[in-house]
Amino acid sequence: MHPILANQERLSIYLLGWLIFGVMLAAVLALPNDDFTWTEALAVAIPLTMVYGAICLSSWYVCRVYPLEKTPFARVLLVQALAGILTILIWAAIATGWATFLQRAFSFAGLQTHVLERAPLLIGFAFVLYSLTVAVHYLIVTFEASKESEQRELQSRIFAQEAELKALRAQINPHFLFNSLNSISALATQDPSAVRAMTLRLADFLRKSLRLGAQEFIRLEEEVSMSLSFLEIEQIRYGSRLQIDQKIDEVCKGCLVPPLILQPLIENAVHHGIAHMLDGGTITLEAEWRGSVLHVRIDNPIDPDRPRNRKGGLGLENVSKRLRAIYKDDAQLQTTETGDVFHSDLWLPAQTSLGFHRPAPVTAPPVIQE
Amino acid sequence: MDAIRAVIVDDEELARSIIREYLADHVEVELVAECSNGFEAVKAVTELKPDLLFLDVQMPKLNGFEVLELVESDLVVIFITAYEQYAVKAFEVHAVDYLLKPFSRERFDEALTRAKEKLERREYPPQQEIISSARPKGETIERVLVRDGSRVFVIPAEKIDYVEAQDDYIAIRSEGKTHLKKQRLSDLQALLDPKRFVRVHRSYILNIDRIARLELYAKDSRMAILKDGTQLQVSRSGYDKLKELL
Repeated sequence: MHPILANQERLSIYLLGWLIFGVMLAAVLALPNDDFTWTEALAVAIPLTMVYGAICLSSWYVCRVYPLEKTPFARVLLVQALAGILTILIWAAIATGWATFLQRAFSFAGLQTHVLERAPLLIGFAFVLYSLTVAVHYLIVTFEASKESEQRELQSRIFAQEAELKALRAQINPHFLFNSLNSISALATQDPSAVRAMTLRLADFLRKSLRLGAQEFIRLEEEVSMSLSFLEIEQIRYGSRLQIDQKIDEVCKGCLVPPLILQPLIENAVHHGIAHMLDGGTITLEAEWRGSVLHVRIDNPIDPDRPRNRKGGLGLENVSKRLRAIYKDDAQLQTTETGDVFHSDLWLPAQTSLGFHRPAPVTAPPVIQE
Repeated sequence: MDAIRAVIVDDEELARSIIREYLADHVEVELVAECSNGFEAVKAVTELKPDLLFLDVQMPKLNGFEVLELVESDLVVIFITAYEQYAVKAFEVHAVDYLLKPFSRERFDEALTRAKEKLERREYPPQQEIISSARPKGETIERVLVRDGSRVFVIPAEKIDYVEAQDDYIAIRSEGKTHLKKQRLSDLQALLDPKRFVRVHRSYILNIDRIARLELYAKDSRMAILKDGTQLQVSRSGYDKLKELL
């Protein structure tokens, strides 16, 4: 939408400006000599100036196609000069027609000749005003672009914070916590040393998630160890129904990832996968370094007949939102279902120190120093 | 008084063990079965007809509410859950006893005492009402559960052709088989996705994906011809509803 046409206030100011230019033009025509009476001068200048103002609005479309910051300046100059000449020619034709019309209709003697005599003045006037309009349009374009990018920035910051908050809240899943406490309560009379083991695992998981959750990035091995702590606690609950298999490539362990990014995926694997299987199954956690990308995959069995859970997608959505807020388009989460296995694939830029888009050698991944 | 025959249903061995432990003090309660999933629970309740059910809400295959929906026996239920907003609200509305994990021996005894009182008064919970209030508002079901003896059939909604009312029962037609279920047609209709399932007649709910064509049959009356050749009567208002969707 045209920034001036779309905004009534701007349009009024714009038209008022052109009206003033019209009066100025009339004064220039009428004052120095006897060729024009004031009536004649106003009749020539005001309508022509207003029409020209309308035509000049179209220069915005040229400004939009050739934005200053993305176009070489010489090109801007060339394009605008061509557009300007075209506009002035169109206006000149209209002006000639108008003068002829006025002369015939109102019998202003010699008006057409007088106007034609002032051609250099009129063309100069048109040139100055065209340039002015272009400048105003560029100002508006720049102003709106900066406003928009500011808004986008703000939006993405809000998203990031929101995702962060949800991630932190999700780290202590009430289901998980209460069920774990129930296991402890059950074990209390049966196996005191198991109670201790369970309490220690729970404390270990909570401590890790609190400490690491507060950081911006953590090493993949820390994230994985947190996931394993979680799974070990769930193993006490689910017994032999929950098996764990992990294959983390040595080079990946030092890669930096946002804390608790895997946690919702692991929780899903347990609560929407294992929990619905009568005989349970194995959760597989794999990580590999491919080119400049860290690929993490979590596989878990699913019951094809399970009721589709309304909350199932929420954890995944949070992970996606967080990835977008942190990496823009450079990270991705994808989930697929093949028969009775559910795969969550996570692709992140492989980086071992902060500073994004660090190119990693494709042939020989760097050795991570412990 | 005879012994109270009880069944524990929970998929976690540890969770079952704590109930077992608490029950050991109550000689009047006889533990007749322990089940680790919903299918087993339906089978146990149908075959053993217990008086009291300790029923976990979150379980594989069938959750606690689905188990309750499928058993017809007169029994008192004590629900057990770790954390479930909807469920707890439903329990409170219908004065159903529930235990939140982890629970103390005192809390357990209290629930058991109340359950015994209900058993003496033969005051059984309103099963259908509990189930429907435990379901989030406006959520449609994606599968229909049917029991035949002690066997449970899970019918995905998209595989249903049509449902016919037959006295106190409904007959669900799916993949060439007919399943009978004790339910009102209007109750099932309220649960199915209204964009897919239409009450075309007082006695029929029809899956609109199955329609091959509609034929005028008498004044104000039409016939829906299904893809498998079945013909179902369509009432005037049923036709109006179909027109809106097709």
